[in-house]
Amino acid sequence: MAQELHFITGKGGVGKSTVALAMALKKSQEGKKVLLVELGDQSFFKDFLDLDEVGFHPISLKKNLDISLWSGGDCLKEYARHLLKIEGLYKLFFENPISRSLINVAPGLAEISITGKITSGPRHHGPQMQYDCLVIDAYATGHFLSLIKAPAAMAQAINFGPMGEQNRGIDKILKNDQLCTYHIVTLPEDLPVKEAEELYQELQAFLGAQPEIYINKMLETSLTSPQLKKLAKDNSSIGEFAEYVEAVIDRQGEAKTRIEKLKSKTTILPFVTETEPWKMIEILSQEIKN
Amino acid sequence: MISSWDKAKIFICVGSGGVGKTTMASAMALMAARLGKKVLVLTIDPSKRLAQTLGIEGKTEITKVPGLPKDVFLYASTIDHKKTFDDFVRRAARQEEAANKILNNKLYQQLTTQLSGSQEFSALEKLYSAYESGDYDLIVLDTPPSKHAMDFLKAPQKISALFSDGIAKWFRQPKGGIIQNLIYSGTRQVLKALELMTGSDFVRELSDFFVHIEKWQGQLEKRTMDFHRLLVSPVCHFCLVTSFDSAKLKEAEHFAKEIKKGGYHLKTVILNRAFPEWINDLEDFKDLDAKEKELHRLYMSLKSYYQKRVKDYAALEKRLPSEVEILKLPEFSFQISDIKSLEKMNTYWKKDNR
Repeated sequence: MAQELHFITGKGGVGKSTVALAMALKKSQEGKKVLLVELGDQSFFKDFLDLDEVGFHPISLKKNLDISLWSGGDCLKEYARHLLKIEGLYKLFFENPISRSLINVAPGLAEISITGKITSGPRHHGPQMQYDCLVIDAYATGHFLSLIKAPAAMAQAINFGPMGEQNRGIDKILKNDQLCTYHIVTLPEDLPVKEAEELYQELQAFLGAQPEIYINKMLETSLTSPQLKKLAKDNSSIGEFAEYVEAVIDRQGEAKTRIEKLKSKTTILPFVTETEPWKMIEILSQEIKN
Repeated sequence: MISSWDKAKIFICVGSGGVGKTTMASAMALMAARLGKKVLVLTIDPSKRLAQTLGIEGKTEITKVPGLPKDVFLYASTIDHKKTFDDFVRRAARQEEAANKILNNKLYQQLTTQLSGSQEFSALEKLYSAYESGDYDLIVLDTPPSKHAMDFLKAPQKISALFSDGIAKWFRQPKGGIIQNLIYSGTRQVLKALELMTGSDFVRELSDFFVHIEKWQGQLEKRTMDFHRLLVSPVCHFCLVTSFDSAKLKEAEHFAKEIKKGGYHLKTVILNRAFPEWINDLEDFKDLDAKEKELHRLYMSLKSYYQKRVKDYAALEKRLPSEVEILKLPEFSFQISDIKSLEKMNTYWKKDNR
């Protein structure tokens, strides 16, 4: 079975990380061996789940579910170790202070290293990971676009040699909708929806595939707008609250209509008032469908 | 509203993604302008409606915000990252030929917008030139989207790192001399390793990139020092915008500590969407009919949710330095996207008496 790759993105603050964990949990409960991947230097889940440490080497969260944190530097190092084979040459490269800082400053190198590692399974290139599924808690909109466009951009700048070839290979996998699924998380509010709409168009244009959309934190109630209007006429404080709920469900309705116009697979995720992290994730994961 | 306001010439809104920095920066700027100051607000990627309302949609130059009374002097501009950065490169390289060499480098063209810290550098560049002009009593700066609030302050350092370890020297051919040649033979092996991984084309473009940018090293270092001096000066006030969940509050606390260590002046923390307006208003009702029961259920579950957060907040408040002012804004049921709603929002600020 080919390794599935899932990318979670969206505007800052919409709940990408919690949705990524819920998705990873869901897939692991289906019996797949799942790796949840955080990108960058700092782990969100370390604080959120109160873990000792999250680093490059995976640690286990639950049965069939591991987590790791990938930085550009770590990914490049691992690749170099795999490719250079000769330990001496590897050491010479990475123990040189200049090449260590090169990864942080050379344009595009961190992005290429990360996307290279993500796609190493399907490309059969680099050290192989024994997972059926990678769920990538990726960057917010702008940074995410830079990340997935980097291999194509680099391939255009560098035509020949391993850099050109590798990047064309990475780009091809990222655009393969049999392997990669892109998930955009949004909130039922004007600005996040606007950003989701734009991101959707841009991803679709670049990938040729249809990203899936998640409207997160939808307040669920059987009350309708007219009912709430009636309750709001009451001058007591429950009237004021009814007015608030009415505004919220109107806003939610508007967001839903706009997202539906994109005609993409859409999942509604509830506003979860449970604050214990795993219980909250469990509730969310039950709403995520295949 | 903000007590330290009078001493500030620059007001920088920082915070992690999605907390409402752009809205807060615009609201603050409007408030200061209403108090009689001549104010400039520099925004990054405002929503279309906010850009329209500020009169800066599709423009990069500084524009007077329309639709305000004659004696309210509010100016706005967006920060065009690529243009600001390219302009800096042109000025820094001094000669057109040198500037063109770097602007024509393939890696620079494809990936310059991704250079780590370059977006922040552009924001600071625009801030600095507006400040130098002396045209404004107050400049409010919105900062680029980032995962963490600290990313903004680390950015100039990241850009300087382009030169710090002498990467350019490393790629440059030696001028001769036995010792230089010896050092070079060591680095040549390292380059070989890189070439083995990436190919000679890449190494050539990369060395081209580093050799050419070396020409603006002096200018960039000088600029970075200027930025730093400005950012730590007492007229530059930082304002941390945060949302009200435990992960974000933890980050706020960490940020307050770090920023103080760095010598910057954190004066204000804004808790955005701290509480819905209605919280704590509703008593228990008896004899509810079905519809009211559902409304009551909703109320109780949301109330208990927000009350749990109050605890997290109380813990943060204790740990923030006492000189930091905490402002709260409730969650609104109306959307904030134009001048009218910004003015309406500005009537809601609640200061925490500490």
